[in-house]
Amino acid sequence: MLALFLPAFLIFLLIGLPVFFALILSPGILLWMNGQERDIALLYRNVYNGMDSFPLMALPFFVLAGELMNRGGITTRLVEFSQALMGHLRGGLAHVNILSSILFAGLSGSAVADTSALGSTLIPAMEKNGYSRKFAAAVTAASSVIGPIIPPSGIMIIYAYVMGESVAALFLAGIVPGVLVGVGLMVVVRLMADRYDLPKAERIVTKGQTISPLESRVSFVLIRINIAGLLMALFGGVLALVRRLADIEITSNSWLVFLVFLPIAHLLLLRLRKQVSSDFRVICKKAVAPLQTPIIILGGILVGVFTPTEASAVAVAYALIIAFVVLRSMSLRDLPAILSKAALSSATVLLLVGAAVAFKTVVSLSHAPEHMANFMLSLSSNPLVLLFLINLLLFIVGMFLDAGPAIIILGPILGPIFVDLGVHPVHFAIIMSVNLTVGLATPPMGLVLFVASSVSGEKVETISKAIMPFLAVEIVVIFLITYVPAISMTIPRLTGFVQ
Amino acid sequence: MLTLLRLYAQVNTWVLRLMRHVAWMALALMVVVILAQVFFRYVLNNALPWPDEAARFLMLWMTALMAPSAMRWGGFVSIDMLPRALPRVIGLVLTLVLLVASLVVLIVGLSHGYNHTFGFGGNFNSSSLRLPLDWFGFEVVRVKLRYMYASLLLCVGMMSVVTVEMILRTLIALINPSAELPPDDAPNGVMEAE
Repeated sequence: MLALFLPAFLIFLLIGLPVFFALILSPGILLWMNGQERDIALLYRNVYNGMDSFPLMALPFFVLAGELMNRGGITTRLVEFSQALMGHLRGGLAHVNILSSILFAGLSGSAVADTSALGSTLIPAMEKNGYSRKFAAAVTAASSVIGPIIPPSGIMIIYAYVMGESVAALFLAGIVPGVLVGVGLMVVVRLMADRYDLPKAERIVTKGQTISPLESRVSFVLIRINIAGLLMALFGGVLALVRRLADIEITSNSWLVFLVFLPIAHLLLLRLRKQVSSDFRVICKKAVAPLQTPIIILGGILVGVFTPTEASAVAVAYALIIAFVVLRSMSLRDLPAILSKAALSSATVLLLVGAAVAFKTVVSLSHAPEHMANFMLSLSSNPLVLLFLINLLLFIVGMFLDAGPAIIILGPILGPIFVDLGVHPVHFAIIMSVNLTVGLATPPMGLVLFVASSVSGEKVETISKAIMPFLAVEIVVIFLITYVPAISMTIPRLTGFVQ
Repeated sequence: MLTLLRLYAQVNTWVLRLMRHVAWMALALMVVVILAQVFFRYVLNNALPWPDEAARFLMLWMTALMAPSAMRWGGFVSIDMLPRALPRVIGLVLTLVLLVASLVVLIVGLSHGYNHTFGFGGNFNSSSLRLPLDWFGFEVVRVKLRYMYASLLLCVGMMSVVTVEMILRTLIALINPSAELPPDDAPNGVMEAE
């Protein structure tokens, strides 16, 4: 009897009941018909308990940080920086769009924010440069799915919470797959550039770039610290390798190493700065402060200074400092509107998470995962075949449902099956997240397509056609991620977040 | 009926505005509380016991105060292909059915929420939260779990009120297609960014 809640849920969903109510109504009705009145009270309590969580708090904070960065004018800086790096290639602005999405992904955790922020600046610019509007909208939509794959990521916070995984491990596992999607898209643009003769663009759009003296000095210091840190990490890697190969004990004081690398970083940068124009230099300098956000978040989590929730709050504080002190692009009067918007969009998600936790308790009461597992194992016992089927299922679900709700509903049902088959939980989380986010850009119901359509003024159907080649490559990347666990698992393994 | 709806919608607009104001302040406070936690732990070397719970308290209230507005502005995720694809009148009837179903869920939720909040469990004190009124010469007030539980109860209550408004709107649109419905106070494009 109780197993009927899944079909009931699907029917409610398809006739248009909001997901929140469908999640509660379908198990609620069945419990009521079963005479389990007391379990309905449990349903209510689980909605509450589902929301009452410290790790979940990272969600509103990352939304808020993204909102602050966006209003503070950081988007334009990232686009200018990407253009200075890749604008001169053929199909330049399309590459710029993708690179901006990768960079933006390090600041925000949502594909929709990515599409609306980058689309509103880049789609008009691409049109002016000679691209068709549908192509510009399609590139924006296709590349924005990188947003929730590269950390920070809203859906990974939700997945980690619902499935009891470590947020840090999921964040780290998402980096390479996200970049891989970006590289895949760039390859498509490269191929299309030859075929359709896509235009080049200027590397520097506005000449005579200026930067405030304060920010100039801050960037000067930060970039050196960043490069020294990078060199130090490389050095640490080499050291670990030597230790393992030659079996000698080498100890090093990390502060000392850092102090050695700092002047090296400085000399490296001095060499580089001779080769570029002053505008180029200023544009790079202006990108330094915004791009510290992912470094603070990931660095803080990696070193163990912050929990992900604390890292997200620190990201908010950093965004505030940038917007008020460095860029001076915001006033106190703007804050209530930004806070309200962030609160509004996170409230709906949090409520949904609560409802999903309630739903999940009934899922486990009903033995649905076992039935599902038996059914799937009767199809095939080969994990690779099953993974392929899951790719298909998630892809279809992603077309109709937002990634967050889909993860909450399907994670508890599918996750345990594959973990039993020997797929690492973190790997499966990445498969699921990437699959469902790509679904966001898939016609007919992909959420990102609608946002791209409202930003560009182009019809959803037209964008859907133009996005096909990009989707094809994204599907190839999904298969790569599914069948080559090393793509997602290497970074978390190396950093010790996954055994 | 239209006058009734106008009055009802106006009251909702005021109440929800007030709730949203408290909600954004709660979000701001959450950030402050968590930053204080980090600051005390690393800079002052003195980990505080209360920020974790205080921030959760604020988050629950933020959600509860914001969700009714989100619902009123159509911010609850749904697959609305069918109601849109149907002819106008049938679509509106379906919307009405869906709203009534939501209202039933909310009303049942209301009774469970009442038991949850005012029942036995809500009597317990929170483990770390207390209002330090002894600073001002009064007794220390321990925060009861009830004060946190009440957030969801209020949320469900306000969502029911909003659902009734939406049912009235749909009914009026059904009876008189040309009726001018009162504004729902939604800022421009605010829910598009979901």
